[in-house]
Amino acid sequence: MIRSILAAGVLLASTGAFAQGAFPARPITMIVAFPPGGVADITARPTAAAMEKILKQPVSVTNRPGAAGAVGNAAVANAKPDGYTILMALSSISVIPAADELFNRRPAYALDQFAPIALISADPTILVSHPSLPVKTLKDLVALARARPGELSYSSSGVYGALHMPMEIFMHATKLKMRHVPTTGGGPAINAILGGHVALTAGGPAAISGHVKAGKMRPLASWGATRHASYPNVPTFMEMGYKNVEYYIWAGMFAPKATPDAVMKVLRDTARKTVADPDFRKAMAAVDSLVQYKDAPEFQQYWMADAKRLAGLVRIVGKVEAKK
Amino acid sequence: MAETFQNLLLGFSVALQPSILVYAFVGCLIGTLVGMMPGLGPLAGISLLLPATFGLNPIIAIVLLAGVYYGAMYGGSTTSILLRIPGEAASVMTCVDGYAMTQRGRAGPALAIAAIGSFVAGTLGVIGLMLLAPTLAEFALRFGPPEYTALLLMGLFILAYMSGGSMLKTLAMAALGLMLGMIGIDVMSGYTRFSLGIVELGDGVGIVPVAVGLFGVSEILLAAGATAALPVQRPKLRELIPSREEFRLSAGPIARGSLLGFMIGIIPGSAHIISSFVSYGIERRLSKHPERFGQGAIEGVAGPESANNAAATGAFVPMMALGIPTSPVTAVMIAAIMVHGILPGPMLIQQQPELFWGFVASMYVGNVVLLILNLPMVGLFVNLLRIPYAYLYPCILCFCILGTYSVSNSLVDVWILLVMGGLGYVLRKLGYDLAPVALGLVLAPMLELSLRQSLAMSAGDYGIFLDRPIATTMLALGVVLFLFALKPLVFKGKDWRDQVGLEKQ
Amino acid sequence: MNETDRGQTRGGLRSDQFSGLMLLALALYVGWENRAYPLGSLQEPGPGYMPLLLVIFLGAMGLLIALWGIKSAPLASMKWTEATRAVVILVACAVATFALERIGYRITMIALLIFFLGALERKRPLPVALVSVGFSFASFYVIGDLLHVPLPRSPWGF
Repeated sequence: MIRSILAAGVLLASTGAFAQGAFPARPITMIVAFPPGGVADITARPTAAAMEKILKQPVSVTNRPGAAGAVGNAAVANAKPDGYTILMALSSISVIPAADELFNRRPAYALDQFAPIALISADPTILVSHPSLPVKTLKDLVALARARPGELSYSSSGVYGALHMPMEIFMHATKLKMRHVPTTGGGPAINAILGGHVALTAGGPAAISGHVKAGKMRPLASWGATRHASYPNVPTFMEMGYKNVEYYIWAGMFAPKATPDAVMKVLRDTARKTVADPDFRKAMAAVDSLVQYKDAPEFQQYWMADAKRLAGLVRIVGKVEAKK
Repeated sequence: MAETFQNLLLGFSVALQPSILVYAFVGCLIGTLVGMMPGLGPLAGISLLLPATFGLNPIIAIVLLAGVYYGAMYGGSTTSILLRIPGEAASVMTCVDGYAMTQRGRAGPALAIAAIGSFVAGTLGVIGLMLLAPTLAEFALRFGPPEYTALLLMGLFILAYMSGGSMLKTLAMAALGLMLGMIGIDVMSGYTRFSLGIVELGDGVGIVPVAVGLFGVSEILLAAGATAALPVQRPKLRELIPSREEFRLSAGPIARGSLLGFMIGIIPGSAHIISSFVSYGIERRLSKHPERFGQGAIEGVAGPESANNAAATGAFVPMMALGIPTSPVTAVMIAAIMVHGILPGPMLIQQQPELFWGFVASMYVGNVVLLILNLPMVGLFVNLLRIPYAYLYPCILCFCILGTYSVSNSLVDVWILLVMGGLGYVLRKLGYDLAPVALGLVLAPMLELSLRQSLAMSAGDYGIFLDRPIATTMLALGVVLFLFALKPLVFKGKDWRDQVGLEKQ
Repeated sequence: MNETDRGQTRGGLRSDQFSGLMLLALALYVGWENRAYPLGSLQEPGPGYMPLLLVIFLGAMGLLIALWGIKSAPLASMKWTEATRAVVILVACAVATFALERIGYRITMIALLIFFLGALERKRPLPVALVSVGFSFASFYVIGDLLHVPLPRSPWGF
């Protein structure tokens, strides 16, 4: 108890002394809108560790899961814009407002409440089929799906989730019809295909690699722009002639919109140094995640384009569902 | 067999290394403490500890987390029995008879039987994991949405056996729980239902704040008038040890609970909590004196406690043999080994024999550690009851608020806790039994989702439930159970009102 | 059972009638709210399908409880001796919940415990102070510092 009082005293003294000094003068909180162990969390931990070394201030990761990420994202959107609360978000950050709009919900947050800091990683999803499905290549699959419209089924991590959107992009580009079986997350989506309850799914490269190697799933195509290093024999949709069939589960850092420029500059510099940090690189390689650094201006552009495309897709899908 | 034995030796050579032994012990200790905190359960415990394991080696990480996991399953029973506060969701059923035993001065035996049952179930579970993991894992994968629907329906039919009170009231409470489960984002369509505009409710109402509120807070509110009159309990040492009769009565429930829990634990999905409900229902059905249930029947403690611990071990079967996370807890554990570059998959046991066998061996060790840790502690825990109630209940309330808040740093959960406390108070005053609410809340989202997933798989054809042998068998079993429950209503026409329970008052 | 008999002669609402009707009212309310969600069909149940089934079921149960509840104890004969105290406890907890993220965990818990022990239970000041301060600091240390749960702090950093 005495120690905590002393610690509190020191803390008060230090905030007082350095309040006017350079950012950061006290610990930074990095909010993750998903539970521990998810993609966002696994990316956030080594990022925070590397930032700590650079900033010489503790960077603590706080999980605020809820409503598929909406709760944590909204918490940062409405946080004090002083740079001490930042967000490690996944690509789903762009879909939630569009889905809110579709269902006439009061939006949890708006995209323009965020200022991007940097894109950290981006992993293309990979289309996999159950080995019992008589297809060896993407071409076979498209032919089969055309011959039996609406009969093949695929699992996803939830409607408008990270594993649903790539399938919709693919189906939209090929005008194919398939049955959608949403589940409660990435894990259950993979279980559904392993058990043969659905024929297809779009999986994250790391999550499926063990199953692909064991022959329990067959990779058909990747949503990346180039082939994935861990799957050199799997073609991309683009090289198979499907333009614009591109999708990544990305992780990027954001701050509240009104964060001062000086603070933003520190955070951006830190992010740049972070992705070069050897420990960080090692940690990301261990989980088979691709580091894909983009600084704020580039990231902003990328993000806006991504968000616009996904929002458009949500509307198209939503209308299709409503018509039924 | 010889190979298994050799592998096990390899495992023990890993698990008995002093550093790993220490971590197994620390894990069990932290788990027990976390499990005792109202609101903080196994999932919260290992989630909180996960970041700390990133710096350790993968075997130590998984041994530590596993220790926390089953330690929390043990610890959850303590507060349920002593204070009627479910330490974690799976000990809801333990509250009913465990607390009734405490009120009759039998807290010691209840705690001891819970610890022994957990130990037996845990050890049997590890043996099952060791010998049968690859075989059973294939079976687990065959559990798709239709099978899951059938299982959950069976869980619902168990309701009929769950409470001794009025059947109408039991069903009404189940319906209330199922309706609570409808709150939140509908996974199939993306609609947010009944969320009152609160973003946090998008995930639905968590079982933890509801269970702690309905059982724990309502108990405190009910006792509020009687604070002065409540005597301080002073149990004698002799009363801490279960009698021969209590041991005899518990043997069957522990054995059945272990088997049942292990089977349910293997099945992918987060239905592990229902293992304790189902076990309770079965024990009550099999008992020659079902009227003792709810009044402090030791079987009602032994069965569910064994079942939930066996389920905890069963959940490791698909995780280890197939590398798939079948519950939130195993998902976190897979993340713990993933950050070390071990990617989960069906080759995990072959590629990482030290990890698997070290893990198995450490679970044998861990269960012994927990028994040694918990049995002597029974005497200590029972002394909690010596604290004057006027001091005890404010601290319990603060613990409830703290624990509920800590799970996901959410005030909304605390509000749910308080609302449920008030609701539970009123309903109990009006003579309603609350366990069905908890069961309904757990079942509702899973039942609805798996039913609709099944229909999405078959494009609306209900034949899918009859095409698949496992699903059909379970449905048939459920119907038989249901008919058995109806039998007294149909055949003993005279006292059917008695059975419905309305004239008892 | 004397009181029950008196209640019978007096008539009045029975406890089961009351609770059954409340459940029916709840069912009707939820059913009304549920109209916002598409029902779908038996083949393809929509988000409103299962809630509707449950509403019908709960309503039916509520009605049956109310109908059979004619012989249950009269509502008026129920004793609510602990009710005022229960409400006070709940309100205190609600105030604490409201304050938790505004003035921080430790101050809230100290205040809540002082209220319970000092005002409600009328214990002597010294034990009250010891328990309330000890509890909040010890629990903050274990949960906040050791387990790294970011428990709320007050604006003054404490």
